[in-house]
Amino acid sequence: MKKWFKPAALIALAVSLTAGGASVASAASSLKGKIVINGSSALLPLTLQAKSEFQKLNPKVKISASAVSSIAGPQSVRKGIADIGAVDWDASVDVPGFKKFDGQVANPVAVTVFAAVVNKNVGVSNLTTKQLQDIFSGKVTNWKDVGGSDANIVVVNRKFGSGTRVNFQMKALGGQDFMTKGDNYKETGSSGDMKTAIETTPNAIGYIDLPYVTDKMKALSINGAAPTEKNVLNGTYKVWGIGYFMTKGQPTGATKAFIEYIQSAKFQNGSLKKLKFIPLAAVK
Amino acid sequence: MLEMNAQSRVIAPAELGNSLRQAGGDPLDRRSRLKFFNSTFKIVCVSAAVFVCLVLFGILILMFRTGVMTFETVSFKEFFFSTNWDPENGHFGALLFIFGTFALTALTLVLAVPIAVLIAVFLAEITPVWLRGTLRPIMDLLVGIPSVVYGYLGLTILIPMLRELTGRDLADGLLAAAIVLAIMVLPTIARISDDAISAVPKKYRDASYALGSTRFQTIFRVVLPAARSGIVYAVILGMARAIGETMAVVMVIGNTPQLADSLFTPTAVLTSNIVMQITSVEFDSTWNYALYLMGFLLLAISLLLIVAVRLLQKKGAKAS
Repeated sequence: MKKWFKPAALIALAVSLTAGGASVASAASSLKGKIVINGSSALLPLTLQAKSEFQKLNPKVKISASAVSSIAGPQSVRKGIADIGAVDWDASVDVPGFKKFDGQVANPVAVTVFAAVVNKNVGVSNLTTKQLQDIFSGKVTNWKDVGGSDANIVVVNRKFGSGTRVNFQMKALGGQDFMTKGDNYKETGSSGDMKTAIETTPNAIGYIDLPYVTDKMKALSINGAAPTEKNVLNGTYKVWGIGYFMTKGQPTGATKAFIEYIQSAKFQNGSLKKLKFIPLAAVK
Repeated sequence: MLEMNAQSRVIAPAELGNSLRQAGGDPLDRRSRLKFFNSTFKIVCVSAAVFVCLVLFGILILMFRTGVMTFETVSFKEFFFSTNWDPENGHFGALLFIFGTFALTALTLVLAVPIAVLIAVFLAEITPVWLRGTLRPIMDLLVGIPSVVYGYLGLTILIPMLRELTGRDLADGLLAAAIVLAIMVLPTIARISDDAISAVPKKYRDASYALGSTRFQTIFRVVLPAARSGIVYAVILGMARAIGETMAVVMVIGNTPQLADSLFTPTAVLTSNIVMQITSVEFDSTWNYALYLMGFLLLAISLLLIVAVRLLQKKGAKAS
């Protein structure tokens, strides 16, 4: 009896002390709760950045963020396994290929710019819409046909359900279907997988949003316009979309505070811009 | 001294029985306590066994019931004999995934089993004791490496290497996946085979040497056949790991729904296709049911393979 009493008492004391300490430290914010975020991997850099900043301000809010593809976002919200579903299109209305999600509210968070990207070894730096259509439908299979060197084109696509894929198909390929077969064609799960594939595969072409573009790959100009904030704002670069956080009904509590934090001018013009997203206010 | 011992051995069990039989009345006496503990222990053990069976059957029934709803919209023939997997446009031909899973598992075993058995022979028969003592723990550690690590190494090291060796533009496909899986199941098969070979009685070897066989003849004609059932068991375990492996495969197989007509065609298998698509499908859609059916198939295939290997093993044992 006495043997276990002493350590138990010590543990109880330690717990009460740390609990007391923690409550003193977080006196600044009384916001409590748990936010689970799933969905778009294109928006993941933004979610993670906002998460770390928000948790510094509100230490009692627990946020767990993961990402596969856009469609998983609103579906997780519908199934009740996530509070926020990040998605690259407005999932509260019907879009081509995807039905609307009833009862969900779309909270806009950022403007995402999508770029066609190629491996560092590809000599081409600009493609027209027609050339992109030909490459992604499998009609053109050699880089020399679009102004590059004599090498086969490796097409890397995102899987069905990716918001980057939806945006790229609608806005860069004019709604044209992708190829589905071939020895030089593969599909990847998330934006992170796409990044790895493009970086490590010579002669590869794919598409990704700007926050993922590294110096190991090259973002292409489309019809002469480079994928930059300036070109999006002056209307010459068309491949961009608004990213949304879907919630079941209007957001409440910690979820509401988190979304408001991301929509705040401070975050939009600070961290969000640094990540190469574009503030919502800029395009309206 | 000896006699006394013998006597007490005879008496002791009888006494034990007596004490059990004689006691009574008090509900907390030794006999009823013992009876209570014995029966409780039995119930706990039985319910544990029943529980695991229930879980297995629960999974089978759930997968089957959800999966079978596929056939409300898709014909049996299309699902099993078509290679056109295009769910967005209503085509659900799963043959390419089924074929991929069989081909991948076969290729993996072809690559892994001979090497694994050689490693096991080396570990059990040839290595000096001190080296064996270091190698075995290392093999055990290798078994524990998470598959995603193998997949990542495959993606970043193996595929560029294959690309350079073959001169192809894209090396994702069955061969890359099979090599990754083979490396992954090697330690499993090798270690269990090693144990099986070590368990072969020394007298077999002595007899073989006494008849004038060389070491090679002893190992391949006497020791390996004697350890066969253990080695087959090792192969089953390796196969089970290979067939259900997802993360390592999804990173190197290419994830393209087309029939693998060569070793380097980007393709997909049951596991990789399920994990790629399950998060993207609507809950009550044919697509979702089809993925469940593929999960059920995967279960059925691995159960069938295990049964088949067991039957083969029995047949082989009778023939020899």
